[in-house]
Amino acid sequence: MTMETSQNDDMVKMIDIHKWFGRVYAVRGVDFNLKRGETLGLLGDNGAGKSTLIKILSGYHVADKGEIFFDGKKVTIRSPRDARKLGIETVYQEQALAPNLSISRNIFMGREPVKGLGLLDKKLMDEESMQALRDMGLRLRSPDLPVVTLSGGERQGVAIARAIHFKAKCVILDEPTVALSVKEVNEVLEFIRQIKREGISSIFISHNLYHVYEIAERFVVMARGRKMTDVKKEDVTLDDLSELVIKSALVE
Amino acid sequence: MNSLRKITSFRSSNTLLVFIALIIIFSLFTPNRIFINVRNISALGKLFPDLGIIALGVGMLMICGEFDLSVGSILPFCSFVFAQLLFVGMSPLVSFLLSIVVGLALGFVNGFITVKTKMPSFITTLGTLWFWRGVLYVWSKMMPVSIRTYVPNNTPFQFAMAGNITPYFPIQVLWFGIFAVALGIILHYHRFGNWVYATGDNRDAARAMGIKTDLVKIICFMVVGALCGFSACMQAVRLGSFAATQGVGFEFRAISACVVGGVSLRGGIGSMIGIVLGAITIPIIDNGLILMRVPVFAISAFIGLATILFVLLNTYIERKMR
Repeated sequence: MTMETSQNDDMVKMIDIHKWFGRVYAVRGVDFNLKRGETLGLLGDNGAGKSTLIKILSGYHVADKGEIFFDGKKVTIRSPRDARKLGIETVYQEQALAPNLSISRNIFMGREPVKGLGLLDKKLMDEESMQALRDMGLRLRSPDLPVVTLSGGERQGVAIARAIHFKAKCVILDEPTVALSVKEVNEVLEFIRQIKREGISSIFISHNLYHVYEIAERFVVMARGRKMTDVKKEDVTLDDLSELVIKSALVE
Repeated sequence: MNSLRKITSFRSSNTLLVFIALIIIFSLFTPNRIFINVRNISALGKLFPDLGIIALGVGMLMICGEFDLSVGSILPFCSFVFAQLLFVGMSPLVSFLLSIVVGLALGFVNGFITVKTKMPSFITTLGTLWFWRGVLYVWSKMMPVSIRTYVPNNTPFQFAMAGNITPYFPIQVLWFGIFAVALGIILHYHRFGNWVYATGDNRDAARAMGIKTDLVKIICFMVVGALCGFSACMQAVRLGSFAATQGVGFEFRAISACVVGGVSLRGGIGSMIGIVLGAITIPIIDNGLILMRVPVFAISAFIGLATILFVLLNTYIERKMR
């Protein structure tokens, strides 16, 4: 792959990020970047600070110190709303969908198309949701099904279809394969490949090295609130990576 | 057919079945079939909207994931404000509008405290329930006051609040219908309704999608407050007086009505049709049992049973759906 090496190669650049929760020093001066169109694997044990770092990017937490650049511009992200406006979409385990709402209402949640007076354009919502899902190879019976009736893999599909439909620039996948069957995991990995094909940058956070290794082009390993390793896929084998994660967790 | 099925989702069709069953039972077993007597129906229509209109708002608030226990105090408070404004010489219409504004303000206070302190609204509104009741008791000295001379019979305002459109069609039913349709449209066909469901169903998801969940909640509390203000005036005009004990117990009756109508206590689930049916079912149970000569004090036992049985039924169906 020929990379255009302009100054603006980065979709996301986070510089010297610090975050305290009371007396807990969760993120300790992390530099982090995500290139355009890149799929990055973010690894680390529980409490390594990866979730906190990513929640700073998605607006759930505000960093105590540090700078964020998005798409070449310095930004301040104070809420999930700010993040979404920039084009940062999150596909979180429990935080992405409202289980009792229908598929189409979930896809358009917070961005409902209206006909005037704020009344929903239900027809448009239904058609576009089904189209977005078909584009990802997901064929579901009806846009009116409550999300709770879908399988775990299908749910991730709905959340990812939403991100693609709204032309996200950066998709954050927080443990998207956790608690899924083998078949569903493969489905979800296929969805993530679709994100890549669309040219969208993504951050894939997972405990499962096998899932991440299959998909990501670069890996960042965190431990104890610090970035321990930043390595390209071609420079590392699965075994090396696994060792790196374990070693990082044991340092200090 | 498809849209009909959507509207009467699983939960509200239970309520509909029980609703029809109750009507049949009461029609057959009340002495002289007095239950289906047009006078009884008409009297029921005059009385039930007091609670029913409030229950509509409480239902929307519950879908949004919050409770309001303070309605039993907001209602008499607004009623007293209405009476006081009449006494200082304001016109009934202005007094009425200002009472609704007071309801909105009290609703805002509930919502604001709840979202800012992040306490369960069960607690915050329990607090405001006692607080406003105390303020009201001191301010009004618990003296009932007549407003009859300020809102005489057969004036347009009196008609609009408590008149009869035809001899047996009380205007209160029309108001209940108007609010039900308006809130139903908002809840099911307006984007705000989608925000209400999303907020109640998964607040984090709603927030991540850019919905201002705190604002949505505050607005829902304010809707309940405004409806309390409306209902307070309607009731005061019908009774021709203010009494400090108006609306006592409405908080739990409204929640019961919503639960019977299929609204989930955890938020995110419920429909306007269900809430409407629930809001009519509770007073029908009251009315039917009274007509069947069940002692008044035993009636709350039946409402308690009904509430629990409906929750059981709904949980059962919910589990089967998954």
